[in-house]
Amino acid sequence: MQPLSIIIIGTGKLGRECGQRLIAAGHRLTFVEKDHQLAQNAREIFGDRVFLGDGCDPKVLEQAGINIAQVIIAATGDDEDNLIIAELAHHIYGVQSVMTRINRPENEWLFTSHRGVDSAFCPVVMATDFIKTEIDRQAEKIQS
Amino acid sequence: MHIIIIGCGRVGARPASLLSSSGHSVVVIDKNPEAFERLERSYKGKTIEGVGFDRKTLIEAGIEHADALAAVTNGDNSNVVVASVAAQDFHVPRVVARIKDPVRAEMFPKLGITTISSTLWTSGRIFEYLVSPELHNVFSVGSAGVQLYEFEVQNVLVDRMVRDLSVANEIRVVAITREGISFIPVLGSVFKRRDRVLVAVDTRSIDKLKAMLGLSS
Repeated sequence: MQPLSIIIIGTGKLGRECGQRLIAAGHRLTFVEKDHQLAQNAREIFGDRVFLGDGCDPKVLEQAGINIAQVIIAATGDDEDNLIIAELAHHIYGVQSVMTRINRPENEWLFTSHRGVDSAFCPVVMATDFIKTEIDRQAEKIQS
Repeated sequence: MHIIIIGCGRVGARPASLLSSSGHSVVVIDKNPEAFERLERSYKGKTIEGVGFDRKTLIEAGIEHADALAAVTNGDNSNVVVASVAAQDFHVPRVVARIKDPVRAEMFPKLGITTISSTLWTSGRIFEYLVSPELHNVFSVGSAGVQLYEFEVQNVLVDRMVRDLSVANEIRVVAITREGISFIPVLGSVFKRRDRVLVAVDTRSIDKLKAMLGLSS
């Protein structure tokens, strides 16, 4: 497997968990977090790979190495921010792969390739789909 | 024209009221209904409580047949997202986003999004006023390739002709205000002390204008 240079923006539970797994898999990671406390928490795990700053600010993205990044994961809790990050990463910096988190399911329609999004995932929808499938399965079991 | 304004703060409410009273069909969107109190009493347009990038809200506002849209909320990022949606998904012919962050204000035009940055504009004006109070910028044409400046005639120009301050393609005197009365001069018009002069300048020639007026640049 080829190790990739990956930037994760947003180090909430999702960003941190994702970062640990990807590092364990041998990839090169950096992180951007604008909240002081969250950045501090992330530094305890990832050390100086964490950059404190607004991921929508080109200067901060450059510090985190966007010029050499192959993958960007915009995982902040703010859909506008994730869209701006995708737009910058794709159209200004030419990053090959831009993945974005969708926070509000109603905003899913905004996450399109012409806005720089290569793939988008909504944790709420994913969890809901899982629960729905599980409920359907249980309902069938009870019936039979 | 059918015009949608997102954000009813001080920046949004004023153009909304003006556009409505000059007969345009206007819709203002804001997530906080109290913001609509900023609209003038004469405002005849529609108000919608909602988030500017909700598809339902935009369609309710008539984005499918809108002629123009301005995204002027407090949030730079949501303004850019709304502007991008309006231009790319709904093909609104005229779209503008207000951007406070000067870095982003200069970056998004590269992505085809027209931005207006009050921070850039205001800081530019303040800088100019501090270093050369004699010369005020009153208007930037287009994306600021040409500027309109105003100044009061001082010693250097008294009894000189408009011709002396005219440079083809670079500097042109547009109007003179003398004792409260404004007129459009000809090349042979003569400057008097205390005339207020409006001049159009190519942005690259501002230092030349300052030199001609005897101001340090």
